[in-house]
Amino acid sequence: MRISLQTLRVLEPFLENPTDELSGADLQKRSRIASGTLYPILLRLESAGWFTSRWESVDPASVGRPRRRLYRLTASGLARASELFASFGRGVLA
Amino acid sequence: MSSQRDARGRATTPDRLQPDSRSAAVARHLIRRAAQQVPAAVSARLEEEWLADLATRTGSLSRLRLALGCCWAARVIGAEHAAWGVVAAGTTSPKVLTARAPVDLSFVSGRTLALLTIACIHIAVLYSLATGLMQRTITPEPAMQVSFPTEIEVAPRAPAANNAPSHAHPRLRSPAPKVDIEPPVSAELPPPPAVAPQAADRNSVPPPPASTRVLGGPGVGFPATEDFYPAAARRLGEKGAATVQVCVDVTGQLNAAPLLAASSGSARLDEGALRLARAGSGHYRPTIEDGRAVNSCYPIRVRFELRN
Repeated sequence: MRISLQTLRVLEPFLENPTDELSGADLQKRSRIASGTLYPILLRLESAGWFTSRWESVDPASVGRPRRRLYRLTASGLARASELFASFGRGVLA
Repeated sequence: MSSQRDARGRATTPDRLQPDSRSAAVARHLIRRAAQQVPAAVSARLEEEWLADLATRTGSLSRLRLALGCCWAARVIGAEHAAWGVVAAGTTSPKVLTARAPVDLSFVSGRTLALLTIACIHIAVLYSLATGLMQRTITPEPAMQVSFPTEIEVAPRAPAANNAPSHAHPRLRSPAPKVDIEPPVSAELPPPPAVAPQAADRNSVPPPPASTRVLGGPGVGFPATEDFYPAAARRLGEKGAATVQVCVDVTGQLNAAPLLAASSGSARLDEGALRLARAGSGHYRPTIEDGRAVNSCYPIRVRFELRN
């Protein structure tokens, strides 16, 4: 899979805390990536096995909003992302 | 999970869950339209996901930006699915997508495209440097002056029967104008030569009528002269004046190819002067002789100067 700078920016918040589950809205805020770029990257990473996702466990009627899709790094995704950042150096995103 | 399902099995979210505003309605509409553009396997999932993210947005601009971004994302995802053949396992399954072997349908990779773009930029820059476009855009236009010294020839023509002594034809040369195109020149008849009145007094014969001849020149509508300063000559700082002989008919059009009468010392400037002379066909003032336009040939002087 081709890794772009935007892909690294998407991965970076997950590496800060690999157990976090983040929605697309969360990632847009933290990575500052436009939605048109973010969602294809999320699908791409999930297709490649870097991410897994699930629906938020809430009742939309009770919380007054639709369910969010939550993404989380898989074990292999974490290993590959860590290796990737180690080879690139984290300064690339600074 | 009480999200509703439409007839196609897609998840729909009641509008009452969204902020009731026009921008939100437009954004929802755009997102639903975008979700229809992606493969059916992920259409319902993305629609619900995007609508959920829309619910977190506040402000009309922010919502519309998200919706437009989703439209763009739908196009990208659609194109990628065409190449990858992603299979969806269901919208509620934790493992939604499974990738098959990639099928590369693109003719050029992103790197190749970038290299081609860089090559095109280099070619454009080199072409600009070669033709002088770059200098025109980067440096201030050097002041240039192309002037046409207009010759006014007044030739008293004595009848053959008149034995009056011939007089030297006064030849008046106007100073080189500082403007590109001069307005049409009108010439006044000069007073008769000083000796003529004495002869007239002696013989009691009125002075012979003198004919006037006003040479033509560049007239109204003559091309903009700065366009004919050769770019290469301008870059090299070449300047000078070339004299071109033009033959003009009564309508102001060239009736023969202009000829270089005196070189400026630079072949580039000479060619520029000739091009200017050719381009001016139809905009010359014809020579006026006795009040009538006549065919004639006359020189024009084209001066190329660079001013800082």
